[in-house]
Amino acid sequence: MPASPPKVLVVDDEPQIRTLLKATLSRAGYSVVEAATGREALTAKSIDKPDLVLLDLGLPDRDGLELVALLRQEPRAALIVVSARDQTEQKVAALDLGADDYVTKPFDTEELLARVRASLRHRLASEAERQIVEVGPITIDLLERSVRRGGDEVHLTPKEWTLLSELAKHPGRVLTHDALLRTAWGPAHVGQTEYLRVAIRALRQKLEETPSQPRLIVNEPGVGYRLIAK
Amino acid sequence: MADMHSPSQHSIVVRIEAYAGAVAMVAVSTLVGLWIAPRWGTAPVDMIYLPAVLAAAALWGLGPALAAGLAAALAYNFFFTTPVHTFRMDRVTDVVTVIVLLIVALVTSKLAAGIREQARLAAAHAARNATIAGLAGRLLSCSTEEEIARTACEELRALFHCNAMLVAGLPEPRSLAAVPEGNRLTPSDIAAAALTLQSGEPAGRGTPRLQPAEWVFYPVQSSSGVIAAAGLARDDGVPPVNDDQLPLVANLLDQVALALVRANAEAESRDVAALRERDHLRSALLSSVGHDLRTPLTGIIGAAAELRRHGGEDPALLATVECEAGKLERYISNLLDMARIEAGAVKLKTEPVDLVDVVVAALKDMRPTVGDDRVTIDIADNLPLVQADPQLLHHCLINLIDNAARYSGAGAAIRVAASAARGEVRLSVEDEGPGLPQDGERALDAFSRISGSDRKGGAGLGLAIVKAFAEAMGAKVLAANHDGAAGAIFTLAFPKALIVKASEAADAG
Repeated sequence: MPASPPKVLVVDDEPQIRTLLKATLSRAGYSVVEAATGREALTAKSIDKPDLVLLDLGLPDRDGLELVALLRQEPRAALIVVSARDQTEQKVAALDLGADDYVTKPFDTEELLARVRASLRHRLASEAERQIVEVGPITIDLLERSVRRGGDEVHLTPKEWTLLSELAKHPGRVLTHDALLRTAWGPAHVGQTEYLRVAIRALRQKLEETPSQPRLIVNEPGVGYRLIAK
Repeated sequence: MADMHSPSQHSIVVRIEAYAGAVAMVAVSTLVGLWIAPRWGTAPVDMIYLPAVLAAAALWGLGPALAAGLAAALAYNFFFTTPVHTFRMDRVTDVVTVIVLLIVALVTSKLAAGIREQARLAAAHAARNATIAGLAGRLLSCSTEEEIARTACEELRALFHCNAMLVAGLPEPRSLAAVPEGNRLTPSDIAAAALTLQSGEPAGRGTPRLQPAEWVFYPVQSSSGVIAAAGLARDDGVPPVNDDQLPLVANLLDQVALALVRANAEAESRDVAALRERDHLRSALLSSVGHDLRTPLTGIIGAAAELRRHGGEDPALLATVECEAGKLERYISNLLDMARIEAGAVKLKTEPVDLVDVVVAALKDMRPTVGDDRVTIDIADNLPLVQADPQLLHHCLINLIDNAARYSGAGAAIRVAASAARGEVRLSVEDEGPGLPQDGERALDAFSRISGSDRKGGAGLGLAIVKAFAEAMGAKVLAANHDGAAGAIFTLAFPKALIVKASEAADAG
């Protein structure tokens, strides 16, 4: 932890959820600011300058996606949206608007903390470009463009490398199907999920211990893929 | 139906032909007589004319028959009675012969005309019955008021060569159907329609009531009153139906009335059945809610109270809270899903899906309930991708795993398998529970409605959702028992049409 603990802004209209999140985050060493409405959130964002915002998409006073766009403005803070279960499209829209990740209510607090860590790490890391990403037995060298599994070099096709390096640049964070397709195949192939599925399957064959029970590259149904951060 | 508007010119030609024919037959008879007379005398000759007169009477009726009789009398008189080649008659028998020929012509033609008229009536009757039966048959295949009205209008248009419309409702008659579409009624037409609907009498053009209207309206009547009015109009303004055809119109409209009454009755009974089904569903849901919400809540409240009293951190009690809360959340999800299915609000968003992803995601969500070590995964290598909605599939699998965990008892193994065979991709969840009652197919029937009472809490709901979601995606749900060993197997079968061909995903490298 740096000298001053990272500051997290919790935006939720339900007091119980704010209480739970505050307790969880405080215990994990973060300092917490609360907001119950969109308006309060925007004020707190500019005054308290949090490092990360946890935003519930179902606020009474403002449209959740509109708030995502507003909260992404400078100064930059990591942004994790919290949404109900059946709002896959909203999750994807929020990610497209620049949210770093999402958690689904009801959430496991351990998982929430993992997401917070991953998002904050990415934010710090993007200031000083990371070179080596380690995931389980896999070592990915983003500058050398090489992948090792337990010391042995793994050979990837150019598309596989593009996908893996994109995931590795954001370890622990979900990347939407379309974002991955755009990066690896170009904007014309957005929506052609089958390309992505087949390439991910090939990557798993080369990287996973049991490719039919992947632990490194996992899918979020209907949303995207995530490289599980160590 | 015969053409009812034959041009009069045509019938004149027919008449001339008939008279010419009659005269021609007499001429032929005369030639025969001229051949006979020199050999056997004139006595048989008067008989020679009888067939000609009879034939003319039978074939063409009174006029041509009389013409034939007259021509025969003249020819007989001229050629065969003495003095020959004059029209004078000396013998009484010759006069009698001529008179007899004329009487035969008269009587025979009357008889023949009567028979022909009866035949014509019978044919017209048969045609009318066929028309009515045809309409009745076509109306039988219609189930809604709109279909019936449209069929009736098409039939009326074809029969009477006019525009047709069916209207109903007072005081503002509205159009149920119109052929051709887009016909507009003038205010006086609407007044005529309203008058017919009120009085049950025809109104509009060609009737004594509201003559300025362009349309003529006839009542469509059931035993309970006038339920609609059929409007007819020709573009040239001629009344489309003549008086002879009024009984046909009335009969046709009776069929329409019967069909409309039947459709109404059916719609009502469908509504009643749907209402009853909904009531059944609601009461099943209510009892299920009572049980499935209270049981985990009891666990949570009890465990929380215990923890507070003893201030302890008993891991078993904490696990109870977590696990029961998970059940509650799944149950509420299922209730919401069920509500969405019931409301027809399930939106399909399919994409090529790797079943490996689906299984991993479902097991991750179910980890608090089933743990890691209870579940074995068996997914074939190079399983084809399937076209599916990842969210719906996720909930299907969660419900199937939940169902397996419920029935297997604590710690018993659950097997999740995926394979391709016989052009299908199958995803199955197997448990070691007591298996399904009776055969699998019967058990599957229970999916379609919530029959939760005989199952452990909420399972009916979960399986009903699995079935509804699977069918929405075009996949099938199969339920069976293990051969020999204990346990049930629930399978989602993706047919060939949902399997993504390898070539479609070829450009992935």
